[in-house]
Amino acid sequence: MSNLIFESVTKVFGEGSSKYVALENINFKAESGQLILVVGPSGSGKTTFLTIAGGLQTPTEGDVKINDSTIKSLSEKQQTKLRLEKIGFVLQSYNLVPFLTVEEQFKLVDKLKKQNLTEQKMHELLSDLGLLELLKKYPNQLSGGQKQRVAIARALYTDPDYILADEPTAALDTDRSMKVIELLRDLAHKRNKIIIVVTHDLRLKNTADKVYQIIDGKMQMIN
Amino acid sequence: MFLAIKEMLHEKLRYSLIVALIFLVSYLLIILTGLATGLANLNKAAINEWDASSIVLNSDSEGRLQQSFLSQDEVASLPNNGTRISQYSTLVKSENGLKENTQLVGLDSKSFIFKKLKITSGSKNIRNNAGVVSDKFKSDGFQIGDHLLVANSSLRIKITGFTPRATLSALPVVYISPDTIQPLNKGVTNAVVFRNKLKNSKIPKGTNQLSISSFIKKLPGYSAQQLTFDFMIAFLYIIILIVISIFLYILTVQKLPNLGVLKAQGVSTQYLILSTLFQSFIISVIGVIIAIILGEITAITLPSEVPIVIDKSNIIVTGIGIIIMSLLGALIPIRQIAKVDPYKIIGG
Ligand SMILES: Nc1ncnc2c1ncn2[C@@H]1O[C@H](COP(=O)(O)OP(=O)(O)OP(=O)(O)O)[C@@H](O)[C@H]1O
Ligand SMILES: [Mg+2]
Repeated sequence: MSNLIFESVTKVFGEGSSKYVALENINFKAESGQLILVVGPSGSGKTTFLTIAGGLQTPTEGDVKINDSTIKSLSEKQQTKLRLEKIGFVLQSYNLVPFLTVEEQFKLVDKLKKQNLTEQKMHELLSDLGLLELLKKYPNQLSGGQKQRVAIARALYTDPDYILADEPTAALDTDRSMKVIELLRDLAHKRNKIIIVVTHDLRLKNTADKVYQIIDGKMQMIN
Repeated sequence: MFLAIKEMLHEKLRYSLIVALIFLVSYLLIILTGLATGLANLNKAAINEWDASSIVLNSDSEGRLQQSFLSQDEVASLPNNGTRISQYSTLVKSENGLKENTQLVGLDSKSFIFKKLKITSGSKNIRNNAGVVSDKFKSDGFQIGDHLLVANSSLRIKITGFTPRATLSALPVVYISPDTIQPLNKGVTNAVVFRNKLKNSKIPKGTNQLSISSFIKKLPGYSAQQLTFDFMIAFLYIIILIVISIFLYILTVQKLPNLGVLKAQGVSTQYLILSTLFQSFIISVIGVIIAIILGEITAITLPSEVPIVIDKSNIIVTGIGIIIMSLLGALIPIRQIAKVDPYKIIGG
């Protein structure tokens, strides 16, 4: 069973007069099999929360634990390995490498993980997300929504225990958004993963197992 | 090195430009080193053929053969396994009007230097005003049996053989016997050359022993010329370093967001750094190889008057030098890659 725990996490940017508290005393726990939504207005601290959860930033105070080990006690190498093997990131932008075709984005993952996942798996993912015909295209030949879906497929490809997605549906219409969320929810439920989706898209509220809201750095469960 | 190769193939224009730049500078480097080697050879080739290790000259001569005059006593008190050299620079003409500035070198036919001399055609005979001459004479149209008329003198030297790589201070050498050179320089011995180093106790007062390499450095104009080339070559290396650094720096800055995201996705900094080093290595190898090929072609096509020598050591040194420069040029970009913080890129 995987789990992700925030223990009194506070994140402060800057010092003195430019000091800004982006996250304030956050306690949070996610367990396998859950799709968790984090909503909140722009600038409220959602991306900060997600990057701290994935170990890209360290909290100013408090601890983040993944599978019961504190992230900041891991060496940089171990953190890199953790991200490669356990975490799938879907970021707000720049997700795809511009000089690789869609297919090659997946190949890169194979090379790095020294795994040889079956083409079948890639094709399954891509057809679930309606991307099969894009295999040979470069990112600059894709629409915003297509890019985002490729990024989601890429993150799922390594079969990570955690998926941390920042606005994965921002560029998608309602139908596509629902499809993506349903795919993520199925993964959480059937494959026992922890999936955290940051969004300001309130339409998605009812699809999640838990919904948290962040306002001015304070987090609160609302559902 | 999947990432590195895919990127270069996708960004063909950018990477071809760097390759082109590396090629141009490498080409210039190879030509310059070739000229430096060629000119150095012109100055010292004959001395190298002697295969000696030391030379004894008059102390006041500052290592200059022409200014060095050894007395009979000095010569007599030196070990007798040395080769006594008399030297005289002059203009010679053939009977059918060919002219050549030359270094006449008088030495004994039993001396080790004369025994060492290689012959490309003719025979090795310097008796009775015969001369073994540099094969430069041959390429300039002189033939075995021709007579060389020495300017301002009634001396006629008959060519009996051609010897390769016989130039001294950029002039072709004519080897003759001490008897033949006697009327021109009044029988003075300018220096004595030895196969081995002499003990200091064996060097008579008023004379000075120089190693052959320091003797070469003191050849008129030799050091100044080589230093000039060394400067130009050093500058070219610096230029290539700067050019590669700037190019890789700009390329890296442009792709920092992607590098940040790759890091976020668990690509190690080490992999990204190796990727950049690999690219740097590949572009310099390609650039250098093209430069070597074109350098060789240039050396072949240039008229033989241009003293360019592109030899193996020249190519190896230049090639390795440029590859090292381009790996050094990757250091600044590597620092950027190491520093890039995925969060800074993602923020938003
Ligand atoms: N490196 C930083 N230095 C200073 N302040 C920062 C830094 N990163 C984020 N902030 C501030 O922290 C707050 C939260 O930022 P965050 O990126 O988490 O917002 P967000 O909820 O993801 O917003 P959006 O919906 O627009 O993406 C913002 O007010 C932002 O200005
Ligand atoms: Mg954000």
